[in-house]
Order: sequence, then structure tokens, then C-alpha cells
Amino acid sequence: MDNLFVQAVLIFAVTVFGYLNAVLGSSEINRSIVIGTLVGLVLGDLKTGIIIGATLELVFLGTMAIGASNPPDRVSGTVLGTAYVITTGADIASAVALAVPVSMLMASLWDFMSMTIVPLLAAKADAYAEEGNSKGVDRMHYLGLIIPRLRAILVAAAFCLGQAFIKNIIDNIPSFITDGLNYAMGIIPAVGFALIARMIITKQLAAFLFLGFVLAAYFKLSLIGITCIAGIIVALWAFNSNRMVQAKEAENGNEF
Amino acid sequence: METNSKKLTQKELRKIFWRSWHLDASWNYERQQNLGYSYAMTPAVDKLHEDNPEKKKVALKRGLEFMAVTPQLSTLILGINAAMEEENANNPHFNSNSINAVKTSLMGPLAGIGDSLIPGTLRIIITGIAIGFSMAGNIIGPILFVLLYNIPGIIIRWLCLKWGYTFGTDFISKAEKTGIMEKVSLGAGIVGLMAIGGMVANFIWLDIPVKVGSGDFAEPLMTYIDQIMPNLVPLALFGIMYFLLGKKIKTTIILLMVIAISIAVCFIAGLF
Repeated sequence: MDNLFVQAVLIFAVTVFGYLNAVLGSSEINRSIVIGTLVGLVLGDLKTGIIIGATLELVFLGTMAIGASNPPDRVSGTVLGTAYVITTGADIASAVALAVPVSMLMASLWDFMSMTIVPLLAAKADAYAEEGNSKGVDRMHYLGLIIPRLRAILVAAAFCLGQAFIKNIIDNIPSFITDGLNYAMGIIPAVGFALIARMIITKQLAAFLFLGFVLAAYFKLSLIGITCIAGIIVALWAFNSNRMVQAKEAENGNEF
Repeated sequence: METNSKKLTQKELRKIFWRSWHLDASWNYERQQNLGYSYAMTPAVDKLHEDNPEKKKVALKRGLEFMAVTPQLSTLILGINAAMEEENANNPHFNSNSINAVKTSLMGPLAGIGDSLIPGTLRIIITGIAIGFSMAGNIIGPILFVLLYNIPGIIIRWLCLKWGYTFGTDFISKAEKTGIMEKVSLGAGIVGLMAIGGMVANFIWLDIPVKVGSGDFAEPLMTYIDQIMPNLVPLALFGIMYFLLGKKIKTTIILLMVIAISIAVCFIAGLF
């Protein structure tokens, strides 16, 4: 029991750390690759934590805070998914099975808070601004920062109450569902890659995506190798385009 | 001739820098980063409008207007805003509405370039490098991820504040004239897309456990597919997702569909 209490406190600390991402310079410390590792560290199985973190990272790869919506709450999903696998010894696919619904559920709670509580605080901040009270405005920011992060208590509570309960449910899941989730786990990263590709791609640059693919598929190059080659291509292009601009300017100069 | 009596010092700029780390912390659906932005601006407003409560009120309210920008580049707007606020404090003829105009006109393009460059491209390249280590259970993976993403991020954040404050609005037009922005995003695009291509081959997998042929000559279907082109299945899956996203289907719907179809296929296969 004591052991569970200590673990719950540590899980709470990891969750808070992840939720502090936006306070610590949006440094992406709420990514599964980081959070999974920390959960592994506090639960005494670092290696498994790192591997689950990497697996969930690929699942959540395409999710990011862009435009007017919150991404899935990766922290809660990763914490509970990783903790579940480490404490019960289940296979990694069940981390995905747990992480995805948890992150979506927690994101709706987060959304609700960002739609109601925080705008109310902003309205209060307007009133303080009207009085010229900058301390009051700052205080509203602090409240807007703290309140939504109280979600971490829910995560720690779910960790305490849920392990046996979740294990019971997952043990009774028929095998075709876990098999299906295993396949889904391999396919889902495609969504993330496609999302980001769509963000970067232009007609001019599309061929580079295939170049990267061919280097990996046929030549078995690692990502570091591919990135080095990409860097060389950019360097060559940057120097040559400078020269081209100069040549063009010289040409234009001649015309007039 | 105006006397430039009020001036921000290194101390306030440092405070703005640290406070800018909070930009997304009190994000909300109504005005997004407004509380975080005003929080970062407070040191400048407090110092410059100490003895002018009217201007302070207006400046505080201005800080609480809608804001949406890439956190690492937010300091460029904060720096320009700080420089303009300084002018506002010293020059009675200064039209402080221009601060709002500059803020609003900058955040759109800056967020557009910044989001695709930093949390988009830079993060993807770094994830690609780090995840190879992580998959093998190597602690270097997460450490590399945090360092490689944040060291450039922090340097950019500081430089943007400095450039914004020193060059003010000139900075953007200068950057546009020299074409440096275009060059950076094109270069990052090349590296990013090649990394994505590599990851498509490495991190998407679908083993179709079907055998073709009969008796001793039965071969797994995957062997044939790989003979056409290695990793053809991951490439096709990527293509399908790319196509579906182009149809404006929501990501969560696609995710749930993938899960549902995978389970359904396994269920049907289990019946035989």
C-alpha cells in the first residue's frame, strides 16, 4: 500500500512535469518520447518506459497545438499507458489501447476548461487592466496556468484506482481486438507523417520525400544518414542559388 | 525634439525573455495566448508607464488582445512591441493604435512560417533521429530529443527578442527583401521531407500474414510485395492517409477508422 502511495506521488510529479510544457517554453517535454521515459524511471523499468514512449510517440506524432484547438492530452495517455504496461507486464499494444482513449477523454476536459474557466479569467484580467493593475492581470495568468493543470490529480487517482480495474478489463478483451490494435499501431504513424508532410510540401519539394524514402528502403540508411545527405543538398543549393541571384542581377544590370 | 527619457534596460528585456516561456500556459479558446502575452509584456509596461496611469491602462488592455503565434518566435513581436511602447512613452504624438496594427499583421505570417518550421519540421527531423535510439530502449533517444529541439529553440527565442527590440518593424521588411525567410523555409522543407520519407520506410509497418501459392511452394505475400519495391506497403499507407487528409477528413476520425478496420479485419480473419 505504501508502495502504491509512493508510486502515485511520483506519477503525479511526472504528470505535472509534462503539463508544465507550456510554462517551460513549449519545449515539447510533454511528448511521449520524454514522458514514457520518466514513467519508466519512476516505476523502476527505464528501458521499457523508453520503448513504450517511442511507440506512443509515433502514434501521437502528428498531434500538435496548431490553430484553434487543443491536441490530445498526450501526457495523461502516455503516463497511464506506460504505467499500465510496466506494472502489469502486458504487451506494448495495450499501452496504445489505453493511451489513445485516455488522451482523447482528458483533452475534452482540457477543452472544456479552456472554453469556460480561462476566458472568464481573461475577462477578469480585462477589469484589472481597466484599473491599471498589472499585478492583477498577472495573477489571472497564473490562475489560468494552474487550474487546467489540476488534471494531474485525476491522472494520479486513475493510476491508484485503475490498475486492478483496468487489468481486469484488458484481460477480458478478446484476442482479435488486441491483434487489431497491434496492426493499427503500425498503421497510425502514417497519419502523423501525412499530416506533417501536408504542412511542409510544395510541388517543387515533393521529390525530396521520395528521395528520403528510397534512401531508407533500398539503401537502408538511418535517419541520421538521411539528414546528413539532406543537409548537403541544402548547402549545395544555397550556395548555387546565391550565385544564380548574382548572375541574374548582373544580367539585369546589363540590360539597362 | 523629444527627450528619450524612458528607456528599457537589459533587465526588463531579460524578464520579457523568461516570461515569454509562459506564452501557451494559459491558452484559451477565446483569445488564445492573450494572458500569456500580456504576462510577458508586463515588465515593459510597468517600467515605461510608471507615472502615466492612462497609458498604462491602454497598454495593459492592448496586451490582452487576441494573440496566436509560434512560442519560440513570439519574442520577435514582444521585442517590436517593447520598442514601440518605449516610443509611445516618450513621444506624446505617437499613435499607439499602430502597436495593435503591427501585432496583428505580424502574428499571422510569423505563426505560419514558425509552426511549420519549428514544431513541424524541426521537431520531425529530431524525432526521427531520436526515436531510433528510443526504440532500442536507449536513454540517448529522449535526451537527444530534448536537447536538439530546445537548444536552437532557446537561441532563436533570445535572438528574436533582440532583433525585434533593436530593429523594430524594419526587421521583417529587411528579412523579406533579402529573401532569407524564403530560403530558410525552403531549406528546412528539403531536410524535413527527406526525414519524413525515411520515417515512412522505417516506422510504418503492416505485415499481411497471407501466403500465396499452395503446398511447399506457398510464399508469404509480403515477399512478393517486397520484390516489387521494399517497403511498398508503408508507402501506400502513407499515400492513402495523405489522400484522406486532403479530403478534409478529421484526424481523429481517421485514427478511429484505422483502429475499427484493423479490429474488424482481425475478427473476420478469426472466423476462418
